[in-house]
Amino acid sequence: MSDAQIPETPLFDRKGSIDGYRINKMAMALGDPANREAFKADEEAFLDRYKLTPEQKDAVMSRDWNRMVAMGGNLFFILKIAAVDPTPITAIGAAQAGLDHADFLKQRLGKE
Amino acid sequence: MAKIIGGVGTSHVPSIGAALDKGISDNPDWKPFFDGYIPGKEWMAEKKPDIAVVIFNDHGNTFFLDRVPTFAVGVADHYDPVDEGYGRRSIPSFEGATDLSWHFVDKLVENHFDPLVCREIEVDHGLQVPMELFFGRPENWPVKVLPIWVNTIQYPIPTPQRCWEMGKVLREAIESFPGDERVVIMGTGGLSHQLQGSRAGFINREADEDWLNNIANNYEKFRNMSREDYVEQFGSEGAELIMWLVMRAAMDDKVDLKMKHYHAPASMTGAGMVVLENL
Repeated sequence: MSDAQIPETPLFDRKGSIDGYRINKMAMALGDPANREAFKADEEAFLDRYKLTPEQKDAVMSRDWNRMVAMGGNLFFILKIAAVDPTPITAIGAAQAGLDHADFLKQRLGKE
Repeated sequence: MAKIIGGVGTSHVPSIGAALDKGISDNPDWKPFFDGYIPGKEWMAEKKPDIAVVIFNDHGNTFFLDRVPTFAVGVADHYDPVDEGYGRRSIPSFEGATDLSWHFVDKLVENHFDPLVCREIEVDHGLQVPMELFFGRPENWPVKVLPIWVNTIQYPIPTPQRCWEMGKVLREAIESFPGDERVVIMGTGGLSHQLQGSRAGFINREADEDWLNNIANNYEKFRNMSREDYVEQFGSEGAELIMWLVMRAAMDDKVDLKMKHYHAPASMTGAGMVVLENL
């Protein structure tokens, strides 16, 4: 594809795949119940196992979804972090849109 | 030769499966969505296919970024549902249509496609949800499946035109298959949605309605759109709609639009379906 940008729309391309590889690999591992238990028991140790940088660790541990995506976290992988919490997908959407959850539901999805 | 009994285009939103698991498909949020699929289920029960070809994308559940196939075809004897982070769902395993799968792989390579051929692999909601929407929750699935995975996660994703060409090969494979199986083709994904970036929550009802109205007999514009056009009109994840083109290309040029249904939002997605038959 060309580098033409679609407004407010990051595509998961070469840069995202390279930058986000460790975050995504860690999140992918949460598809395994044993890894979910390890993550819940000691989240930081689990992130260290996947060699996340301090910035990546901070984004994950503070559940800063916007930053995770900006660092190359792909939504489909980081949804497995959300599954552990659990965090609704609409809350992740709201965080990226810069809206609070109720406003996001109303303005973007037309829900009262 | 095997027979194409129809083509289905449908959303595969994971929260549809979750709503069924939680038993909330009758609540006011979900009922209009599920009610719209009742005629589709009745159609399927009446048509009694033997095999469902399901074109879908994995969502970071089966394939990681260490290896990303642009197109993959399952040739397994069965496909278990994969754990997507909530535990494995208690739905039956899917029996594979192995002979047709291998025949399709032969035809693809003869026609200069180069698929990843998968002998042992699990399937995520991309295949599960369309099956549940059209076959309900039987003790065992009444059809065997032929899964086709299309990469829509990591760019470069395939072009809409390439998906169209694959649909032509799919038709050739079904029609040259020595057997009398009845085959339904299910193109899945969409409709408009965007889960990433500050445009998250983007739904384009007008574009969705246009798609559902025109995919049957006025599809040329969709076939000619670029990937950028898909992302712009349907959202970054709504570009999944390119997978409906595989199904559409496998059908006749002119088809009968038997039914369509639209509901928005299902979770964060414009959701719906069409059922097509050759004339």
